[in-house]
Amino acid sequence: MSKQAKAKNGGDNFTRWLVIGMVALVVVTGVVFSMMSSSTKANESFAALKDYTLGEKVSGAIDTTQGSGLVLNPGGPVKIDLWEDPQCPICRTFEEANGQYIDELVRTKKATVVYHALSFLGDESVRAANALMCSADEGHYLDYHNALYIVQPALENSGFFTNENLIKIGDYIGLKSKSFTDCVSNGSKADVVKAQADSMPSFKVTGTPTVFINDKLWERTSNGFDPAEFRLAVEAG
Amino acid sequence: MKRINIKYQRFITLFGRLILGGVLLVAGGLKAFVPAEAASAVAAYKILPTQLAHIVGYALPWLEIAIGLLLIIGISLRMAAVIAGGIMLLFIAAIISVWARGMLIDCGCFGGGGAIDPSKAAEVHRKYALEIARDSGLALIALYLYFFPYGLLSVEKPTTAHEEI
Repeated sequence: MSKQAKAKNGGDNFTRWLVIGMVALVVVTGVVFSMMSSSTKANESFAALKDYTLGEKVSGAIDTTQGSGLVLNPGGPVKIDLWEDPQCPICRTFEEANGQYIDELVRTKKATVVYHALSFLGDESVRAANALMCSADEGHYLDYHNALYIVQPALENSGFFTNENLIKIGDYIGLKSKSFTDCVSNGSKADVVKAQADSMPSFKVTGTPTVFINDKLWERTSNGFDPAEFRLAVEAG
Repeated sequence: MKRINIKYQRFITLFGRLILGGVLLVAGGLKAFVPAEAASAVAAYKILPTQLAHIVGYALPWLEIAIGLLLIIGISLRMAAVIAGGIMLLFIAAIISVWARGMLIDCGCFGGGGAIDPSKAAEVHRKYALEIARDSGLALIALYLYFFPYGLLSVEKPTTAHEEI
């Protein structure tokens, strides 16, 4: 220790720059390490779609009286409104817990589900929401919606949701029609996407995921979106 | 008060270094190995453009680790104290900014982070207040260390015996 003290006496400036240099080195090395590990993750996510089988077509319609939401299976005994942003990580948690159950409700006509694809997290959400609405035109909203959350990167606005990648997602799950790819690359659904986003205040939606069951706000008690809790709430209506 | 400080300054300094350095080291360590989470937590504050926010999210944990180590070992203490204090002031400003804009997020201080369900508004606001209080306390420690950097168990020693003010 006394040696270091002496060294410090000799060259105060030198020590300071040495320390600054070392701190900078640690930080730069860390950043490079972090960037590499998260970019390999993004590529791995596509692989998860390899075995996806496209479900049957479900037609949907935009209802301007319901915040321009996409209504699937109108006239069902229960109505569920889902307000989600394609980039929102908690929406992914919600989908992982309850997505399959909701799919089932729509496909077996046990519930009307209204999807609101929000886009307040940035440009990438706007593009992803546009692609979602394009998939609705093809009758495959549920499939594309599932796929989107499967590949969702942990990072918001990380550059992952480009139109190329959004088309690639469709490609992986078997949604390859020209009308779909054109719709995605031209941003054809911009008006609907904007209308859905603009309707947030009038429905008092301030965050995602927000769920209404028969127009009543669902207040969850657990952060993990307990499927049993959600199922009970839906069945209670 | 002044006499007490002179008598115990070496201990107070050591104590302050261990607390401030320890908190930085733990906070950085918990975030450094979940880079995606950390980057997205910074983006959730919506202060920086997202690309820049990600870089900050990648870099900040490592900076915290480096400064934490300097403080604990006792090298370049003044500089480390200034940077640590600066980091704390930044955190305080960021939380105030989020609070003022009415956003509900998890600070991501020790990992985690992101938007929070609106039904928990009251809880989140209390957490913001606690976080500001905690970071203010840590900033005060940093200030103390700036004025009294030399204490027990430090690699770095004062250049003259009575350099302490």
